[in-house]
Amino acid sequence: MATAAVAFVAMLAVWLRGGGGFDTAWLPSWDARLAFRLDGLGALYALLATGVGVAVFTYATAYLPRHLEHEGRPQVEGRRFHALMVLFMVAMVGLVTAQDLLVLFVFWDLTAIASYFLIGFDRQHREARLSALMALLVTGVSAVLLLIGILVLRAEFGTTSIPALLGRVGRGGPVVTLAGALIAVGALAKSAQAPLHFWLPRAMAAPTPVSAYLHSAAMVAAGVFLLSRLHPLLASSELLLDALLVVGLGSMAVGGLLALGADHLKRLLAYSTIAQYGYVVTMLGVGGAAGAAAACFYVLAHALAKSALFMTSGAVTEATGAKHLSEVGGLARALPALAVGSGLAAAGLAALPLTIGFFKDELFFKAAAERGPWLAVAAVSSAALTFAYITRFWTGIFLGHGRPARPVPRRLVAPVVVLGGLVVAGGVLVEPFASLSRAAAEVTAAAPVAVDPAYHLDLRAENVMALATYAAGLALVLARPRLGGALAAVARLGQRAGPEHIYIASLAALNRLSNAIHDIEVRDLRARVVAVLVPAGVLVGIGVAITPFAGAYVVGSFSRLDLPLVAALVGCALAALIVTRLRRHLAMAVGLSGVGFSLAVAYELLGAPDVALVAVLIETLMMLLFVAVFALLPRRVLQREAAIPVTGSRRIRDPVVGVISGVLVLLVVWAGFSRPTPPDPTADKYLELAEQAHGSDVVTVILADFRGLDTLVEISVVFVALLGVATLLRRGKLW
Amino acid sequence: MVARLLLVPVLMVAAAILIKGYVDVGDGFAAGVIAALGILLQYLAFGQAAVQQALPVRHAAKLAVAGLLLSLVVAFVPVLAGGAPLQHAPAPGAEVVHLGSLELLTAVLFDVGVFALVLGMVVATIDLIAGTPNERGGQP
Repeated sequence: MATAAVAFVAMLAVWLRGGGGFDTAWLPSWDARLAFRLDGLGALYALLATGVGVAVFTYATAYLPRHLEHEGRPQVEGRRFHALMVLFMVAMVGLVTAQDLLVLFVFWDLTAIASYFLIGFDRQHREARLSALMALLVTGVSAVLLLIGILVLRAEFGTTSIPALLGRVGRGGPVVTLAGALIAVGALAKSAQAPLHFWLPRAMAAPTPVSAYLHSAAMVAAGVFLLSRLHPLLASSELLLDALLVVGLGSMAVGGLLALGADHLKRLLAYSTIAQYGYVVTMLGVGGAAGAAAACFYVLAHALAKSALFMTSGAVTEATGAKHLSEVGGLARALPALAVGSGLAAAGLAALPLTIGFFKDELFFKAAAERGPWLAVAAVSSAALTFAYITRFWTGIFLGHGRPARPVPRRLVAPVVVLGGLVVAGGVLVEPFASLSRAAAEVTAAAPVAVDPAYHLDLRAENVMALATYAAGLALVLARPRLGGALAAVARLGQRAGPEHIYIASLAALNRLSNAIHDIEVRDLRARVVAVLVPAGVLVGIGVAITPFAGAYVVGSFSRLDLPLVAALVGCALAALIVTRLRRHLAMAVGLSGVGFSLAVAYELLGAPDVALVAVLIETLMMLLFVAVFALLPRRVLQREAAIPVTGSRRIRDPVVGVISGVLVLLVVWAGFSRPTPPDPTADKYLELAEQAHGSDVVTVILADFRGLDTLVEISVVFVALLGVATLLRRGKLW
Repeated sequence: MVARLLLVPVLMVAAAILIKGYVDVGDGFAAGVIAALGILLQYLAFGQAAVQQALPVRHAAKLAVAGLLLSLVVAFVPVLAGGAPLQHAPAPGAEVVHLGSLELLTAVLFDVGVFALVLGMVVATIDLIAGTPNERGGQP
């Protein structure tokens, strides 16, 4: 909590001092820089991420201990949760302040990873694990499209720096449109827009603070943030803007209808989030100064209200144990403070006057009306849907008759009241919020923008539309009981034929394919060896076939000095042949080490004493290890295994595979040796430099000095192998 | 008996190969494997319980960690001083400090880290494998 508060104050301070940032080299060869700047747009989202973070983290300190208690898990797990939440917040701030697309992408994936662990926090529930995986796959796979889009831009304009890129895009073109489309798909999936919206309702398996944070103000906001950040690029193509418009309107309709029909408290809010970000995407599709202003203000107003509502649902579940709207009611008497706080937030979402929400709809209606009458009608109808489902949410929980409720701790209520208070404060004194979104909108539109929300007591278009919204919304609320069947049908249709169904089906198909390959490949050790050798052999065979034969396969000269080497190699081959005929385990081990020792002799004769030394040592070590392991294994198991006869396909398959791969390797090595070796200047240089590096054994000097970093990585791998052994044999305890 | 007699000479050879690594065949890796071989022989001859009593093998994993850390320190301390990773002292051409006939080089220190890691890793692995319960109940 303190972390979030400090971060929020820091962001606020930097923003009030006029923004700031830093810029250091990161990947010089890619010309990518670690560039961060807290500009208007970054400030809006960073303040949201840290500010809502303060509220949610406070809430979580009270929520999580109870949650862990309900789930019967140790309290220590809470630490993991808070660490992940902080990691997410850091990633989010990094994401919104990044000025380089590659840096942005790194943080983008970091948010996805943190969200995976947060959604799957209740890992003992299958549902939570599946939901986490779904969120990761949908946002992760679409993030690959985003990366491709970034790389396309880099290939075209030679930079990933956002300011430089926006400066060079100019009037656009097909390449920019393609990259913009790829980036937009990634962003829309992140913001849970139709048709990639289905992961969000599922993600409600997460603990409530996660939903209140990630699924109102942060994770899903990242998508529309990216669209805003790159809006000048997207705006270069009418097609892209129109596509955004369609997706936004579709999400508004899908989310609104599903929210009106939903019974599960958090899912209702998730559908609402889909619809609300649909508004923002619509506004970005409208574009221009009015669209940018409406989009930025909308994100701000929505995040405040929605996280308060998510926290309300968690507190309600805490008080009554109920997770569905149909199971609760009449809680206003038991939880008056919660009722007021969430009532204010709900009023904000429903866009009643004297809340910040009124202005969000004012700007929204204004931008829609400027675009044309049909969009104005669409805007009013989805705003009416919002009004209806949010009224249903609040009245369903707090009015009517209901069961008794347990008291809830103050820290579960206070954040809701504070955010609710902010929603009203924004409705009375809108200027601080307006100036923040003005600065953000100016970045989005890349032009001066006027955001002047105010109350006008006249019959201008916005006010008429607002009145129409209230009327239509009230009508919907009253008609809702009769619409139940139709809404349920919509939800069923979505489940049967919707994108979620496609996702599940394709995942199942992938699993089947993977299982089939797995069956072929790793049935037993020999099958695995075959699975490596056959594809490798095919590739090598193609390579051999298409390489010109001229000059390859030269039979070299032979002198008497080579005799010892030939003897060593013949010994090696003989040992290998003998091993194939052996049946007893110990004998096979001895035979294999015979192969190894003959090779070591060959190394020595070729003048590589360091390699020969290592080969001898490793062979000895392996031999002793084999002996030790055979001593550990029960003798009758070894005898039984040794007595299994070689039968069936193995009699033919194994020799054929072995001979073919051996012949192909021989061909490749022969061809390689037939070509004259190009003189290698680095080898001579190494010899020369070894002297200067105070060493005379050049191999050691290379290992410890010239290529020391390689050695460092290799010994780290050795250590990881030790960890692996310890994990397998002693559950990861090293000592 | 031979196994017990062999242990000290084996460790001495390992130490020699480690120290002489910069001027003669062998390096930290080879030295680590040789030392580990000596200890593996003890396991084979006397069984896990006896080795654990006679030698501090339960610290093997710690030795591996220490070796990795030592190598990392040698590699990245120069970075703190503004140099490149694994920039060894003394610099090329500079005077080497001698301790008897032993030349003090940070590269050798790096190799000592490799030695410790390899020795610790192999011994720890052997100890882990030897500690797996088997059907015969006892230890080999």
